[in-house]
Amino acid sequence: MSSQKKRNFQIEAFKHRVVVDPKYAEKTWKILEHAIHEIYHRNASGLSFEELYRNAYNMVLHKFGEKLYSGLVSTMTFHLKEIAASVEASQGPLFLEELNRKWTEQNKALQMIRDILMYMDRTFIPSTHKTPVHELGLNLWRDNIVHSTNIQTRLIDTLLEIVQRERNGEVVDRGLMRNVVKMLIDLGPSVYQQDFEKPFLDVSSIFYRGESQQFIECFDCGEYLKKAEKRLIEETERVSHYLDAQSEVKITNVVEKEMIESQMTRLVHMENSGLVSMIVDDKYDDLGRIYNLFRRVPNGLSVIRDVITGHIRETGKQLVTDPERVKDPVEFVQGLLHEKAKHDKIVILAFHSDKTFQNALNSSFEYFINLNPRSPEFISLFVDDKLRKGLKGVSEEEVETVLDKVMMLFRYLQEKDVFEKYYKQHLAKRLLSGRSVSEDAERSLILKLKTECGYQFTSKLEGMFTDMKTSQDTMRGFYEAMGRTLANGPMLSVHILTTGSWPTQSTTTCNLPSEILTVCDKFKTYYLGTHNGRRLTWQTNMGSADIKATFSGGQKHELNVSTYQMCVLMLFNNADRLGYKEIEQAVEIPTVELKRCLQSLACAKGKNVLRKEPMSKDVSEDDSFFFNESFSSKLYKVKIGTVVAQKESEPEKQETRQRVEEDRKPQIEAAIVRIMKARRVLDHNNIVAEVTKQLQSRFLANPVVIKKRIESLIEREFLERDREDRKLYRYLA
Amino acid sequence: MRRGSSKKGSANSTTSTNSSAMDLFRSASGKAATKELERIDQLFHSYSNESSGMIDPEGIEYLCSDLEVEHTDVRILMLAWKMQAEKQGYFTLEEWRKGLKALHADTIIKLKKALPELENEVRRPSNYVDFYSYAFRYCLTEEKQKSIDIESICELLELVLGSHFPKQVDLFIQYLKTQVDYKVINMDQWMGFYRFCNEISFPDFNNYDEELAWPLILDNFVDWVKSKHS
Repeated sequence: MSSQKKRNFQIEAFKHRVVVDPKYAEKTWKILEHAIHEIYHRNASGLSFEELYRNAYNMVLHKFGEKLYSGLVSTMTFHLKEIAASVEASQGPLFLEELNRKWTEQNKALQMIRDILMYMDRTFIPSTHKTPVHELGLNLWRDNIVHSTNIQTRLIDTLLEIVQRERNGEVVDRGLMRNVVKMLIDLGPSVYQQDFEKPFLDVSSIFYRGESQQFIECFDCGEYLKKAEKRLIEETERVSHYLDAQSEVKITNVVEKEMIESQMTRLVHMENSGLVSMIVDDKYDDLGRIYNLFRRVPNGLSVIRDVITGHIRETGKQLVTDPERVKDPVEFVQGLLHEKAKHDKIVILAFHSDKTFQNALNSSFEYFINLNPRSPEFISLFVDDKLRKGLKGVSEEEVETVLDKVMMLFRYLQEKDVFEKYYKQHLAKRLLSGRSVSEDAERSLILKLKTECGYQFTSKLEGMFTDMKTSQDTMRGFYEAMGRTLANGPMLSVHILTTGSWPTQSTTTCNLPSEILTVCDKFKTYYLGTHNGRRLTWQTNMGSADIKATFSGGQKHELNVSTYQMCVLMLFNNADRLGYKEIEQAVEIPTVELKRCLQSLACAKGKNVLRKEPMSKDVSEDDSFFFNESFSSKLYKVKIGTVVAQKESEPEKQETRQRVEEDRKPQIEAAIVRIMKARRVLDHNNIVAEVTKQLQSRFLANPVVIKKRIESLIEREFLERDREDRKLYRYLA
Repeated sequence: MRRGSSKKGSANSTTSTNSSAMDLFRSASGKAATKELERIDQLFHSYSNESSGMIDPEGIEYLCSDLEVEHTDVRILMLAWKMQAEKQGYFTLEEWRKGLKALHADTIIKLKKALPELENEVRRPSNYVDFYSYAFRYCLTEEKQKSIDIESICELLELVLGSHFPKQVDLFIQYLKTQVDYKVINMDQWMGFYRFCNEISFPDFNNYDEELAWPLILDNFVDWVKSKHS
């Protein structure tokens, strides 16, 4: 075959030239149709799976897939219509049961049919883009049963009615519900959502709206919330039992909206049971519940927070302005601590230590504590009380706890410099009268203040402690050096205070008795001998003395008195009776002080070592004083001194406040100069803002005062106004 | 300053008749200038105190009566301004020369005639601020003095601003006299008030903002007025 033309070999598919009997398809179909009928009649046991599969296979193979498919559709439809009729005919509760039963059967049938027609499912259907058998079965069920005119509405109404009955407390067949609902889910998400879920949510909305309106009239806040909580739990449970999981969030939203969100304001403000009374009565359970429930709705927590903030501010304000409480500073502060502890507990136990609530609490406290300008003074007096006697015999841990509480209140103060001033005064008195309970406690508090406010705040306070220590050493040196010459005189103990570290006191006149004067002069000489160039001034208004006195009947007592009192009493060594004017002339103590001194010696019960004529309460210039021979006391040592820290009188308070204002001026000016030096040019508002910020840790700077300081600095040519822009200031180097 | 002196040295040989006329004019005006200067000096000496060599307050009184102007009249202050006189109540020769030269006045009559024009000149906005601040400085009699007492300030305000802003000045003077916070006014506050009159609407003070850098005394003034009306 040399010159043969090349032939293309074609290998053709082996065609099975079987003559297809046109009746073949029809015959085969009839077999299958019959099988489907049997399946639907639950008579499948007599069928041969293998044979039916083969028949179906052949039909598809011989291109009769279309016939098979359409036959399937019409057969199934036929049966479904029968089923629909049967379901429709059921009465009452049997309706759902029948539906459920038929559904179960349908699924079994469909399974078998699908198995038989699997070849078609895998080949014919994909290539023709027809609906697969299983899905087809579901769709037909949906269209013929669930969406059948007589069934559709009835089905949903029945389901919703069952839900309602369960909500009313009846026990329902949950298994049945689960199956029927699952059927809807299986038919496709849109079926479940459109046919069931949407009406379910709508009906629930209406139901809960009604219930909330009804409950709000009948129940108090706590009760109502318990009921709402119960409903929420119920709904969640219901979903888990027989609804689709995706419905959980939707139905709980409905309950939250209708029962909580819409009634939030009314609940919170309910008289006698609302949020405020829960707080007042420490109802931790109720508070926890309201927190958990309101947390679920938008703005729920802010509603709670706002009401609480308002309440704390209001009660706090009353607390600090109540004239009864203000009488006793220690009571006052105790009240503040009590309030804080109460609210802290609520935040921890009921609000899960929510930070936003802690912040609201803090800002409220800061607000009302500063409403009373005497808060800094009172807090210092509280500390003074604790350090003088309150913490006696208390464990170190407890001391720290109390001091930490004090620091917490201190942080709320806006006028920390006022606190500093009072603290200094009170500390001075404690140190000088030796009345401090524990030096460790004192030091511990100073350390805390230093950590909080920085070195500058406490450097002077620490100086006071140093002075005390140094004075001890000085006294020792004094007695070692001069011991012999002092043997017969009164025993002297001197505290040398560095001016500047201690609170400023104006020196007053006072004539010391000669014996005292002698020993004091000796000390002065000694001290100035070792410390050249210093100046010593006796602070007679801060001293104290122990005097031994003998009364009629030979009773001896040791009296602890102030220096002034000592001067007065010593006069009675040489006279039994002295008039006011004579005393005044002799001691030269200023009138106000002298009167106070005489009052404490002659008018105080149990301490009247002097007798006054006339016996009136107040000291007048015409009074006469006698040594009280018949004074008696159970104790050998009697304290008459008046050097204890007390709440300031009105004029004293004014004076302190004035001093504080004066002290602030240079601080403000220093801040202004610092800022302007760095920025060179700055406008008015910004200066005020920066200055305020810089001084915030000590006090709240008044914008008017800042302005005045700026003008003073302009006058002194530290700053000038900008020539063009009148809002600007310039730094002048 | 002496106006152009006669040119010394060789003139250009090619000078035209024009330049010779200029020369003539110049020399004539030069002579006239010298004459004027002489008359100014003479006028000065007619008022000056022999021993101090300055016109003192007494001399100024005479000057005022000759000018037929009260010695408290603002025009005298304006004259002082024109002269840039340093010390209140005194004019030096230099100052006198400066002022009268600028006014082209070498006799009392001319000086008197120059006063209205001087007023107009001062009232020009560009000059007025300068005059206003000068008025304050003029009243600082002591060395290192930085502020003026309330009483004098009230008089000065009336004098200097009274015709411009009569209502504001009136109210402010009232305020100054009744308040107790301030015993003196400094330059910053003085200038602030002028700005205040110019910028702030009256009598409602609607555009006044306390938060801005107005001197504190004006904040207080506005508060005082507002509380008065309520």
